[in-house]
Amino acid sequence: MKTDTSPLFLGLLGVTVLVLAQLPLFCGSSAASEKSFLGSVKETTAPFDTHSVQQVQPIVEATVPANERYQGGSFRVLARKSHIQRYKCSSCHTDKKVLVKNGAALTHGTVELSHGSDTNVLKCIDCHHPEDRDYLEDKKGRKIDFDHSYQLCGQCHFRQKRDWTGGAHGKRVQYWAGERVVYNCTTCHDPHSPRFEKRYPATYAVPLN
Amino acid sequence: MSSSRRKTDTSIIDDVLKNPSSRRTFLKGASFAAAVTSAALAAGCVPGAEAASEETRLQWKEFFKKNYRLMTQEEKRQTVARLERLAKIRQDMDLQIGTEPPVAGVLYGYGFNISRCEGFMECVSACIKENNLDRKANTQYIRIFEMEPGKLDPATGNGQFFHEVPVEDKFYMGTQCFHCEKAPCTRACPTKATWKEPDGIVVVDYDWCIGCRYCQAACPYYGRRFNWGKPEVPKDEVNRKQHYLGNRLRPKGKMEKCTFCIQRTRKGRLPACVEACPTGARVFGNLLDPDSEIRYVLEHKKVFRMREELGTDPKFWYFID
Repeated sequence: MKTDTSPLFLGLLGVTVLVLAQLPLFCGSSAASEKSFLGSVKETTAPFDTHSVQQVQPIVEATVPANERYQGGSFRVLARKSHIQRYKCSSCHTDKKVLVKNGAALTHGTVELSHGSDTNVLKCIDCHHPEDRDYLEDKKGRKIDFDHSYQLCGQCHFRQKRDWTGGAHGKRVQYWAGERVVYNCTTCHDPHSPRFEKRYPATYAVPLN
Repeated sequence: MSSSRRKTDTSIIDDVLKNPSSRRTFLKGASFAAAVTSAALAAGCVPGAEAASEETRLQWKEFFKKNYRLMTQEEKRQTVARLERLAKIRQDMDLQIGTEPPVAGVLYGYGFNISRCEGFMECVSACIKENNLDRKANTQYIRIFEMEPGKLDPATGNGQFFHEVPVEDKFYMGTQCFHCEKAPCTRACPTKATWKEPDGIVVVDYDWCIGCRYCQAACPYYGRRFNWGKPEVPKDEVNRKQHYLGNRLRPKGKMEKCTFCIQRTRKGRLPACVEACPTGARVFGNLLDPDSEIRYVLEHKKVFRMREELGTDPKFWYFID
């Protein structure tokens, strides 16, 4: 009788030992995860050569070098002037007189301005240069190019600009590797009404299979 | 060559007929005969092989390929060539199936800004198109939940909203495969058909998956999807740029999941969801690059991971502005 039960007992013991050995793997504490890959991620301070990634193609869209630097050095932003329909502004904003019948087409009647708080809505010349219409102007009176509008936006939205420079706001264009090219503020936001409009989602979800 | 093989076959049959047969000897003989025949078929030298169509021969060879991880570069090239040829014969499609290896010094990480996402679900529709997801069953890798303020578990959110978004006093939270460093799904697989690549992407070898769905049960994040039927994608909507471990057309009864768009990311491109996101709520990059965007998020933002207490070490962080 004894000889019959002992292998069974040993077997059970073995299974228990195996199960116990597996337990820490399933109930890994946060201390264990800290030791794992996050530690090696934090320790990696050597720069990674993003140009080592093969098959990165140049961005097709027009870009300009940014007047800022991020943690990895210089970067580029998407150009904006080519997307402004009536640029160059000085082609209309001259001393030349206009006929009243052309007035409706020439004024910016399509621009809906909803930028700023309800009590303090921004006006055109809060951002646009009052004299040189081909440029923007910040509150310190500096001329700012339309391609570098982030310099103007950043005077109020400095937190967003800090995030954008680092990479927590906005996004890169097409590639995570290669030279850093990011969206300009006005690529995504309409500067005249910067909040995204409400709309229906692009698709809908079905229950999981 | 084939005649000598046939002679072996007949001699076995004679043995079986003359000698007293047991179950063991019968199985031994039968399996040997089957092995000989299949080897001959695979080599393409069996009587009648000339008559067998190219499709049959390619399909037959596909049955005998190895697990992707055991393949040499030459074997990968061959199987990809076969798959491309089969797609050409069967559907008249010119596919480009890649086998790009992981880039050295890269570990992919993902950030999701819950204060930026507004629930437009552009990411979901881009993912469906990019990854050739089943249009019939409406398979989706990404789920967006409309969440009540103060709640952080998507189980409490509404995953099936369809109304104008964003709604005031709600926030939106996306889930997908989190590519855990200690992925429970890979440990559950009985055939080693799913594993974590050196660059951190958890992938599935669709030709080694037996469809047991153990991995789906093991995943605490509901990150895996199963093909109950043959995935249907309209021919003109098929993404022709594919990867063996990524968005190639799946057979019926196989497990699939988000691969961080392996066919894009290994070429330096952003995943389709990141590229489609209209609000910039999605951040993707190399965790081993101290200058990358994802590292900036981890170092400067308040981040958390879902169900961190499970110890699965997901490489997907939620953060707030």
